[in-house]
Amino acid sequence: MLAEPAVVAAAPPAAVPPLLSLRGLSKRFGSLQALQDVSLDIAPAEIHALLGENGAGKSTLCNLVFGVYQPESGQMLFDGESHHPAGPAQALAHGIAMVHQHFSLVGDMTVVENLMLGQVSGVLKRQNYARSVQALSQEYGLALDPHARIQDLSVGERQRVEIVKCLMRNPRLVVLDEPTAVLLPAEIEGLLAVCERIAAKGCSVVLVTHKLAEIKKVAHRATVLRGGRVVAHSTAPAQEMAQLVRAMIQRDLDGLAAGAGAMLGAVAAGAHGETSHKAATETPRPAADEALQINGLSVVDAEGTTRLDNFTLIVNRGEIVGVAGVEGNGQSELAAALSGMTPASDGRFFVRGQDMTGATPRALTAAGVGVVPEDRHAVGCITGMSLAENLSLNRLDRFKRFGLLDRAALRRAALELMERFDVRAAGPDVAFGGLSGGNQQKAVLGREISTDGLVFLLAAQPTRGLDVGAVEAVYGQIRAACRRGAGVLLISSELDELIDVADRIVVLYRGRVMGHCPAEPAQRERIGAMMAGQQA
Amino acid sequence: MSALTLNLQVLQRPALWVSVAAVLVASLVGMALVVVMGASVPDALAAFADGAWGSPYAVAASINRTLALALVGIGFVIAQRANLTNVGGEGQIAVGGIAATAVSLYGGAATLPMPLSFLWPMLAAVLAGGLWGGIAGVLKAKAGTNEVISTLLLSFIAVWMVYGAVQSEALLRQPMTNTATLPESQEIPDAAKLPLLSADADTPLNVGLPIALLLAVVVAVALDKTVWGLRLRAIGLNAVAARRAGLRIAPTIVLVLFLAGAFGGLAGAFMLQGDQGSLKARFSSGYGFDGLVVGLLARGSIPGVIAAALLFGFLRSGGISMEMQAGVPSALVLVIQGAIILLLAGAAFWIDRRKESER
Repeated sequence: MLAEPAVVAAAPPAAVPPLLSLRGLSKRFGSLQALQDVSLDIAPAEIHALLGENGAGKSTLCNLVFGVYQPESGQMLFDGESHHPAGPAQALAHGIAMVHQHFSLVGDMTVVENLMLGQVSGVLKRQNYARSVQALSQEYGLALDPHARIQDLSVGERQRVEIVKCLMRNPRLVVLDEPTAVLLPAEIEGLLAVCERIAAKGCSVVLVTHKLAEIKKVAHRATVLRGGRVVAHSTAPAQEMAQLVRAMIQRDLDGLAAGAGAMLGAVAAGAHGETSHKAATETPRPAADEALQINGLSVVDAEGTTRLDNFTLIVNRGEIVGVAGVEGNGQSELAAALSGMTPASDGRFFVRGQDMTGATPRALTAAGVGVVPEDRHAVGCITGMSLAENLSLNRLDRFKRFGLLDRAALRRAALELMERFDVRAAGPDVAFGGLSGGNQQKAVLGREISTDGLVFLLAAQPTRGLDVGAVEAVYGQIRAACRRGAGVLLISSELDELIDVADRIVVLYRGRVMGHCPAEPAQRERIGAMMAGQQA
Repeated sequence: MSALTLNLQVLQRPALWVSVAAVLVASLVGMALVVVMGASVPDALAAFADGAWGSPYAVAASINRTLALALVGIGFVIAQRANLTNVGGEGQIAVGGIAATAVSLYGGAATLPMPLSFLWPMLAAVLAGGLWGGIAGVLKAKAGTNEVISTLLLSFIAVWMVYGAVQSEALLRQPMTNTATLPESQEIPDAAKLPLLSADADTPLNVGLPIALLLAVVVAVALDKTVWGLRLRAIGLNAVAARRAGLRIAPTIVLVLFLAGAFGGLAGAFMLQGDQGSLKARFSSGYGFDGLVVGLLARGSIPGVIAAALLFGFLRSGGISMEMQAGVPSALVLVIQGAIILLLAGAAFWIDRRKESER
């Protein structure tokens, strides 16, 4: 049954005494009430999903349990005893382990060396340790090469290392903070299977997520947080998806735009069918409507490996072309070359017929190219500066008065963009780094879309790490820019989102174009095969 | 070498109370050392006060020292805004001094009307210092050379260039009339010296003071109130994002290190055209490195530079007097300065760790 908080003040009673019991936890950061009166029980050997949008307080709650923060008020009981860890070390000693969103691994060292860090002392017995690592990873189905160097591993493999690191300690509770945000669809399946195995061996799992499909598969119970409060408990989450979504975002799924729904995973991709946007772009266009033309673009990296091989594509104005592919198949290099950040080794590209190969980012902006970079924090924004400064970063020259910086005008421009792109912040002068991921991305997108004379928008993984509401907003804005006449190249590893949002899809595999096809749900299998390198 | 860069980054913006506490603790360390050396603390303090501010002359001398330190510190802060660390003040002073001497003696400065007669050598020093800093800028922009290394090594070159210049008659050494002729340049003509502010020679304040103050205001405004200053900050905080946003990184790096060097060169001109009058080996006598410490203490602000430069300027004057009157080695001042840096680094490390654990 799904209980509204008014009905059930605490968690529903469990038949067995709970492993972890939280009562009335509150935590405040400055003026932000991150958690308020949160009560929750985790039963032994259960998979408990912790749901909520970004900023709902999920991570804060996990960090309280793990001892990273201390609550202002409230009780925590672990195995019937008071649990108030002063730091992660104490939580670990009690048998609680956590996999954070950001991994803490040493790239230069091997898997087994990383696992030994802080665990062993004296003479290192790598082989012995490697054997126990292997035994453990086989037990849980976590395929790992103990002697591989971390820097050579994919994100999914690194996450497995982190999970093994937790399991080496024989924990009684494992907390996974947004573990699937960084994974590919196939890897997610694997991770969920691992969760089930962990629970089957008697260890409880707290799975923090905002993707409902995952919960449906594995969670025994679910708790929804919104605005720092518990808004719903469910003892049968698989049957109560719609209610969970409503509790999470205060809206019904039907009201959600395509893309956002697909991202939640609760509806079939493309269920929204032909959107008005797609219908509008079906009329044939003259060649003059070309926004971007890429001719045989190649990128060779410093080691001499060809990362992007002879890429050719035309993006017309008013159309969204999706680039599908498993991450690391040349998408980053394509984006870097098109945004003027790294030079192409071969080939040319044209924006509205003008050769922009090798042009600086500045020249590209002047030519009407907007770029939402893949790595928001490293490339998209400057977290140490204010929101207003970030919103006008590429056009600061406009805010000069008598040779001085016109702060008032900068603020006015920021307020206008905040309004137009629904960037929620206390004001234009707040530190950019303090905004939620969704608001940061909306701000970056707003800045790029409002580039003067926008003819081409490059959006690389624009929804990564965002919650449902923000995904919806991001795609809404991208579509609007497209309707106003911009051509959009959308790079994403979320195939369902691409099918929903794009007009047609080009598939990259090992830097090469594997094929083109219309963005239709019926093509999903074919695209999936091409992503895996099979000519379809 | 990465440890050095790291430490400098940690030092970048200590909180005000940390700076003040570091200075106080370091002063206490200094006094403790006076006791250990067997000198009387009251005597030492009296000698210090006498030398630092005991007479109008002492105050003026302290202020002149302050100016050189402040100029180097201002250059440091400009570079710091763009996340560049200029540790080459010493060499920039040195090349500034060489240029000012050469132009004063052989560049026709004496034949020019006032104020060009002293401005022309000053400009030469600015350009020379700027060039010296600019070399590090080009190396950084083109080849990614760490500017901490390049500015430091360029300093060693410049300091020895002064030595070479005053050893050779073909260069700047005064004509040898007898075996006792010192290896230094001729005295520069009076017209090339910085005019005194008052006719009273007891207070040797010169036009360097108003010039430095004006420059401090200009730089403070440029850094905090202009689009240019905002761009520097953007580049300093995240150069990759700044480049993506269309900011010009490489030219800015060259310009910023040119400016930092130009301020060092100007400090050299002030020292030479002010109280020194002739070029001697090692005339820069550590002002560049002290100026670096001033820049670190300033916490990135120009008023901070002025406060720290005043502190160090008066500290130096007092230290010299302490050595002469109370027999306490003036190296004590260096110990105090070193202690300040160590305390700042320690405090920054400690505060960082505390912030981490609070997160």
